[in-house]
Amino acid sequence: MEVRPILSALMRNKAGLVLIVAQVAITLAVICNSLFIVVQRAERVGRDSGIDEAGTFTIDSLGFAAGFDLRDTIAADLAVLRALPGVVAATPVNSVPMSNGGWSTGLALTPDDGTDSREGHSSALYFVDEQGLDAFGVRLVEGRNFRPDEIGELRQSDGIQADSIIVTEALARSLFPDGGAVGQQVYGIGSNNRTVTIIGVVEKLQQPWVGSTTVEQSSLIPAVVNDGNYSRYLVRAEPGQRDAVMARVEAALQDANSGRLLRRTRSVEETRAASYRQDRAMMSILSGTMLAMMLITGLGIIGLTSFWVTRRIKQIGTRRALGARRFNIRAWFQTENGLMIALGVAVGAVLTYGFNAWLMQTINAQRLPWHYLPIGALAVFALGQLAVLGPAGRAASVPPALATRTA
Amino acid sequence: MLQMTNLSKVFRTHMIETHALRDFSIHVREGEFVAVTGPSGSGKTTFLNIAGLLETFTSGSYRLDGVDVHGLDDNARSRLRNEKIGFIFQGFNLIPDLNLFDNVDVPLRYRGFNGAERRRRIEEALTKVGLASRQKHYPSELSGGQQQRVAIARALAGSPRLLLADEPTGNLDSLMARGVMDLMEEINDQGTTIVMVTHDPELAARAQRNVHIIDGQVTDLDEGPRLALAGVGAAAAAVGA
Ligand SMILES: Nc1ncnc2c1ncn2[C@@H]1O[C@H](COP(=O)(O)OP(=O)(O)OP(=O)(O)O)[C@@H](O)[C@H]1O
Ligand SMILES: [Mg+2]
Repeated sequence: MEVRPILSALMRNKAGLVLIVAQVAITLAVICNSLFIVVQRAERVGRDSGIDEAGTFTIDSLGFAAGFDLRDTIAADLAVLRALPGVVAATPVNSVPMSNGGWSTGLALTPDDGTDSREGHSSALYFVDEQGLDAFGVRLVEGRNFRPDEIGELRQSDGIQADSIIVTEALARSLFPDGGAVGQQVYGIGSNNRTVTIIGVVEKLQQPWVGSTTVEQSSLIPAVVNDGNYSRYLVRAEPGQRDAVMARVEAALQDANSGRLLRRTRSVEETRAASYRQDRAMMSILSGTMLAMMLITGLGIIGLTSFWVTRRIKQIGTRRALGARRFNIRAWFQTENGLMIALGVAVGAVLTYGFNAWLMQTINAQRLPWHYLPIGALAVFALGQLAVLGPAGRAASVPPALATRTA
Repeated sequence: MLQMTNLSKVFRTHMIETHALRDFSIHVREGEFVAVTGPSGSGKTTFLNIAGLLETFTSGSYRLDGVDVHGLDDNARSRLRNEKIGFIFQGFNLIPDLNLFDNVDVPLRYRGFNGAERRRRIEEALTKVGLASRQKHYPSELSGGQQQRVAIARALAGSPRLLLADEPTGNLDSLMARGVMDLMEEINDQGTTIVMVTHDPELAARAQRNVHIIDGQVTDLDEGPRLALAGVGAAAAAVGA
């Protein structure tokens, strides 16, 4: 192909060249970075929390009556919940995955010496009773579940008194890369540098915070929070019965104790939707931006190439008169476009990583993996070749007689 | 070399039909230098365009170097044009964005010659027109006469059998026109057939043969209109002399 003369002719049409190169470069930078963010968000949104999302919901209770007793209320509520038809399991709980609120701590293999030098393994804390595993619907892969006699009470003032915990596989691997977590003692949960023993490992149970970098590291603590007059329950319904059970639970709990308010009966699916709403919005905004950029660049290329075809009409006729076939004229414009896109991609590669570096600084984005660049380059290249098809076709249909018929 | 018999060309636009050529017959022999004259609008450019396969004709027949061009498709016409014909235009038609070297290179690339062959031909052609030292210059840096020389080099580089020129000196002053004419005569002396449209009687007089077109018809030939109009075979001996 006649690359060299096309390139040198382009260099003599710098205004148009710079316009397209800049547009392609910006488009490349935008689509690479946007695509990366969209893919990341899609991965995050598509992640499995580890629990039976379709079958579970939470309900909050806030006592207000004089003489309201939280311990009695929780015991009575659990009895009511577990007796209701359609309920698989129920547990008091402090938080659920994707709710974006909860407790966490750092687990460690050594006691806290007060110097802050200890390397902690982040973990979310879920306080549950012996039905906790069942209520979440998580799978125990090692060790055993809590026994009813292990379930304690938690008051903020006393700290965590539990002796045993169940951890997720991810947390177990983080603490004990060589395996054998069950039976091990860890620091960081028990108050006053007391150790707790890992008695079981569950396959997967995400932290409440969807943006956490250690989202897979969670611990289950056998304790019922007994502070103030607030309680929360996690209920798991039989498959397909969740909505019916939700209504039933609200009515039954209200009947059981009218000295409190029932609030926020929320399915975990709703919690998920609320939690990822921003991600989804971001995905559609960025997808829209990518499409708009492609459209604008495509139209820009069509516009400039059409202008060039008109301006070069005599040259096209002359080339035809000198023996160019229609195909040669088409190929000329397609090649010219390919060269402009290639220049745009070269500039755009720098711009893409510059933009990425800026995003890393400002919104804590991650380093763009290299393979987004060829994907983006392919996209703008295809866009350019497509956009130039029309004008190139028009150029190819310029009659050779134009060479002698125009002044 | 070029033989048209009872050729006609009708342009149809809207309601108007223009008979640019009618019952047009001409025979240009190998090695001839023919000057075509005639009033404006008489059909000179139309004749040249058809001769150079830039336009099709409405009826009649045309043989170029023994090939009946009727019914050839666009690609075949392009190839024939590229291989057998060199064009010289009144407006030079150099490509402003390409330097002289690349301008002369244009038809050679379409021909499919390799790089070395193209370079050899470009240098030879530019040397012939006396512009070898200015290969890297752009057309806008040359005088009109020099530009037309580059155009001639471009037309010659592919070693065409037939050179078609439509008022090649129309945009030049008389001194530069004479220079271009000298060059064309030299080219003709080396065996290339030339058909040149011109308004300049002085230049026309320098051609071996004059063809006058009026109203789309050949009316006068200084080698004997009778022979040309009658057709072909008989004219060969007369012209050769
Ligand atoms: N594309 C076209 N469409 C319609 N009519 C045309 C077209 N091209 C030429 N004609 C007409 O055909 C006739 C011959 O035109 P042509 O250009 O061959 O004349 P010419 O002898 O070259 O004139 P000039 O000396 O002015 O260049 C003219 O009447 C012209 O208007
Ligand atoms: Mg004319």
